[in-house]
Amino acid sequence: MARGFRLGFVLILLFSVILSACSGGSDASDKNKDGKVVVNFQTFWGSETRKPVIDKIVSDFNKSQDEIEVKHTFVPWGDIWTKNTAAVAAGNPADVIVNDLHSVAHRAKNGQTEDLSQYLGEDLKNTLYPNLWDSALYQDKVHGVPFATDNRLLFYNKDAYKEAGLDPEKPPTTWQELEEHAKKLDVKKGNSYERVGYYPLWGSFGAASWMSNADDGKGFIEGDKMYFATANKIEGLEWVADWQKRLGKKNVQAFEAEFGSGQTNPFISEKVAIWTDTANFYTQIRDSKTDMNFGVAPIPAFKEGGRNWNEGGGFVMEVPKGAEHPKEAATFIEYLTSEKVQSYWAEKNFDIVANKKAADSVVNALEGDGKLVYESAINNLKDTPFHSVPVKYPDYKSIVDPIIDNAVQGKISPEQALKKAEKDVKNSAK
Amino acid sequence: MNETVINEKEKPYPPEKTTELDVTSAALPKAAVLSKRKRNKGGKTENLMGYLFISPWIVGLLFLMAGPLLFSLYVSFTDYNITSQMNFVGLDNYKRMFTEDNLFWTSLWNTLYFVIFSVPLTTAGAVFVALLLNQKIPGMKIFRTIYYLPAVLSGVAVYFLWMHLLSPSTGLVNTILDWFGINGPAWLFDPEWTKPSLILMKLWSVGGGMLLYLARLQGVSPALYEAADLDGANAFQKFFHITLPMLTPIIFFDIITSTIFSFQIFQEAYVMIQGGDLSSSGGLEGGPANSLLFYNLHMWNNAFKIFNMGYASAMAWFLFFIIMILTVFHLKFSNKWVHYDGGDKK
Amino acid sequence: MNNEVKFYQTRRFKTKTKNTLVLAILILGSIVLLIPLWWMISTSLKTPAEIAQHPPSLIPESFQFSNYFEAWQTGAFTRWGLNTLFISVIATIGHVFVNSFVAYGFAKIKFKGRNALFVILLATMLIPAFVTLVPQYIIFSKLGWVNTYLPLIAPAFLGSAFYIFLLRQFMLTIPDELSEAAIMDGASHFKIWWHIMLPLTKPALIIVALFAFNAAWNDLLGPLLYLNDENLYTLQLGLQTFKGNVQVQWHYLMAMSFTVMLPTLILFFIFQRHFIEGANLSSGTKG
Repeated sequence: MARGFRLGFVLILLFSVILSACSGGSDASDKNKDGKVVVNFQTFWGSETRKPVIDKIVSDFNKSQDEIEVKHTFVPWGDIWTKNTAAVAAGNPADVIVNDLHSVAHRAKNGQTEDLSQYLGEDLKNTLYPNLWDSALYQDKVHGVPFATDNRLLFYNKDAYKEAGLDPEKPPTTWQELEEHAKKLDVKKGNSYERVGYYPLWGSFGAASWMSNADDGKGFIEGDKMYFATANKIEGLEWVADWQKRLGKKNVQAFEAEFGSGQTNPFISEKVAIWTDTANFYTQIRDSKTDMNFGVAPIPAFKEGGRNWNEGGGFVMEVPKGAEHPKEAATFIEYLTSEKVQSYWAEKNFDIVANKKAADSVVNALEGDGKLVYESAINNLKDTPFHSVPVKYPDYKSIVDPIIDNAVQGKISPEQALKKAEKDVKNSAK
Repeated sequence: MNETVINEKEKPYPPEKTTELDVTSAALPKAAVLSKRKRNKGGKTENLMGYLFISPWIVGLLFLMAGPLLFSLYVSFTDYNITSQMNFVGLDNYKRMFTEDNLFWTSLWNTLYFVIFSVPLTTAGAVFVALLLNQKIPGMKIFRTIYYLPAVLSGVAVYFLWMHLLSPSTGLVNTILDWFGINGPAWLFDPEWTKPSLILMKLWSVGGGMLLYLARLQGVSPALYEAADLDGANAFQKFFHITLPMLTPIIFFDIITSTIFSFQIFQEAYVMIQGGDLSSSGGLEGGPANSLLFYNLHMWNNAFKIFNMGYASAMAWFLFFIIMILTVFHLKFSNKWVHYDGGDKK
Repeated sequence: MNNEVKFYQTRRFKTKTKNTLVLAILILGSIVLLIPLWWMISTSLKTPAEIAQHPPSLIPESFQFSNYFEAWQTGAFTRWGLNTLFISVIATIGHVFVNSFVAYGFAKIKFKGRNALFVILLATMLIPAFVTLVPQYIIFSKLGWVNTYLPLIAPAFLGSAFYIFLLRQFMLTIPDELSEAAIMDGASHFKIWWHIMLPLTKPALIIVALFAFNAAWNDLLGPLLYLNDENLYTLQLGLQTFKGNVQVQWHYLMAMSFTVMLPTLILFFIFQRHFIEGANLSSGTKG
């Protein structure tokens, strides 16, 4: 008995020691020892390349400030938003967090973000790309400030072009040309491919993006209207599905699987001659030290003379609902989106930044392939719609994607697929 | 049901053949009588002691578990979005689950497929490996460490290693199959083979389960085998009459817990789909043709992407219902095959 | 096992054949199990350019041992390692003693409502963590425990259904006569638990220790949710720095994943001696 009690006592003692040890210095007080307001800033930029850049930006800001001290914390990509959601629910979120541009309205509607309209200066709006700015509004209120954006470029292998007897200075401008080039670039050996010219669903321009490209840049849902089974979207989806028919499902699968782990890229390994990806893909080409010559072009137009409709995304700085210091947070966000900071960020990380002047200055500062890629991405912005998550149908993608996939696999006709998708999405209305 | 379980005195080996066991069975009634008398005298103290012993868990249950659990049950009848709304909607979430949400059925099917194959295979695999590792062979320490190794490896790196190994043309698995003239599948990229791929991964890491069996095997008295040897029992008979019955309490534990965890499979699919390019072809969140959209993945998407926590909670409680039925079924039938006092009594 | 049946003419012959067969199977299995590890080490020693090569090389062209050193330098890995060690050790101590204590209650004391409580214990494992994650976070937040190790450590002292169930199973295999004889001698349940159950379930306790340490060591979700200060971070959070939204630094990720795994593996290697000793002890008590 005595021994048991002694052990129990030791355990309780240990437990309480830990309790006290752990709670010491826990309180993240809102003022630091200098009397400055502490703004907690969470990002997923923890890599060797990104962290020093954002840390430098933060420390420059802190030096320039008498009233605010920003504390930057890395939280892993993806998980950062789960954590944020829980923290908002508990009422103790960070003051500034990086979040996805597409879903700003969705989060605003669910009461996860602060309205920043009252804290931000009048001029801020004019310094940033307008279509980006508009994507971060919810009911005309500012629920996030665009920080960086991305759109898609067509990267093509110039050496392969020469080898196939194509003019390396004339990338495809229409869907038809893209298909013609791709066929010439294919290198077949027996039943399998040594090199695939192009496959529309690889890279980061998916079936939905191609359909939007065919349909004047319209997404499936624009405001209150739906554009699913439009003639252009049906034609677009038929075109996408035809690629797999031509190449063979097995071959497509084999290529996807080969590069699925993401360590190697098929374009850089010269297994695919044309590739659609964001401007940032350039850094991968650069760092791989390949001696391949490549060029970039806008996404081809659906028909000759059409616009090169693109697909845009990006990140915003937002203030989670219930943050302690929204006003100070807004001051810091203004700093983050200022020309000086934005051009520093762009130069170091090759992101397309939201600040117009900063983006332009980066083009001037860059040279060689980098300049080419960056400039091309900025030119794309005029043709880039941002298909935000519709607040009424937040899960439309998870409904639509499997249906479209079925159409690509030939299990259902593109027209039927798009009609079914529309019906199912309508049923899911919240 | 535990009363019967504990008092189960089934003999794993015909007792009349060994004197040792005769002694044991003769000792039984006496002990039972004694303990009964003791219990009658101090029933109240026994109750008190019981609660005292389980009190840490009771505290945890009341302060950390009960609240959130009941909360989630209530939430399943609301349109709770985690951050700003919680209106009572009756059975709407459950109705939608069964009648409107096609992905719900997809995810349930995927999960059932996984459970049905992975639970028996990993259990059998773990027992088999434990038996091998229980032999007295030089270098066994190293072998045990190697077999346990996959259980300590975790995180993203492992999943990417597997994507490499299962790569159709350059991956090692298909390369080896090729030696035998077998044309391997596209594994993680063929909707037909994605789930078998994950089951293969689970089999690779049976090291954890293996430990449990290994620990139990340490408790088997060598005397039992010696007695069996004297009777001329062969290895088969020894396995089925001594070893297997001895392992049943652990098999019982393993089946129940691995059923629970298999129903809740999430991490593997989540990392592979989000981190890798499994979603590239259709931009699918559930892997190729949604073949990896497991129940918990679908629930997670609802909870943290769409903020439809009410619906996610309804899904959770439906899952609870399914596993609870299975667990109670297991418990009810456990006394038919689980031998607690093994042959290891004295 | 099947093959054993054929060779039982002489005992020695039989044992020898059996051992050879077992050894062959074990070696074959080891190769299969070690291949992924080989990939990991091989990738960790390559340059990023070599990793990007296709098809991938089995053996690095040149061994970049500096990857390990550089990766360690990219973050506060020493500090994170100590943090993780602290959390894991305390959580392991809690799990081993508390769960064994509770399991004894469920296995060896017959109290009113035991069966019902045991079913509740199992039931708590059945609800996916996602739906209780937010309310649990709110509780810890209201307690002021966010950004401390308490949400990661305190639950280890309040029992875990999985380990309680596991230890209960092992305790049930220990004959009641042992404890009943002790009760006859006037021993309390505390004494029986401490003097009889703990030694007799030593292999199982070591398993709980290994599992609990491993779980705490590799936990990502807990530290992710509850820690807001990089100084308090753990190794698993540190590993995530190599995995950004744009690119993954494979050479660093693999190098650090391997390094982070080593302590748990060494722990097992050391502890398995006790694992076997535990057996001797339990048969010793029997005699």
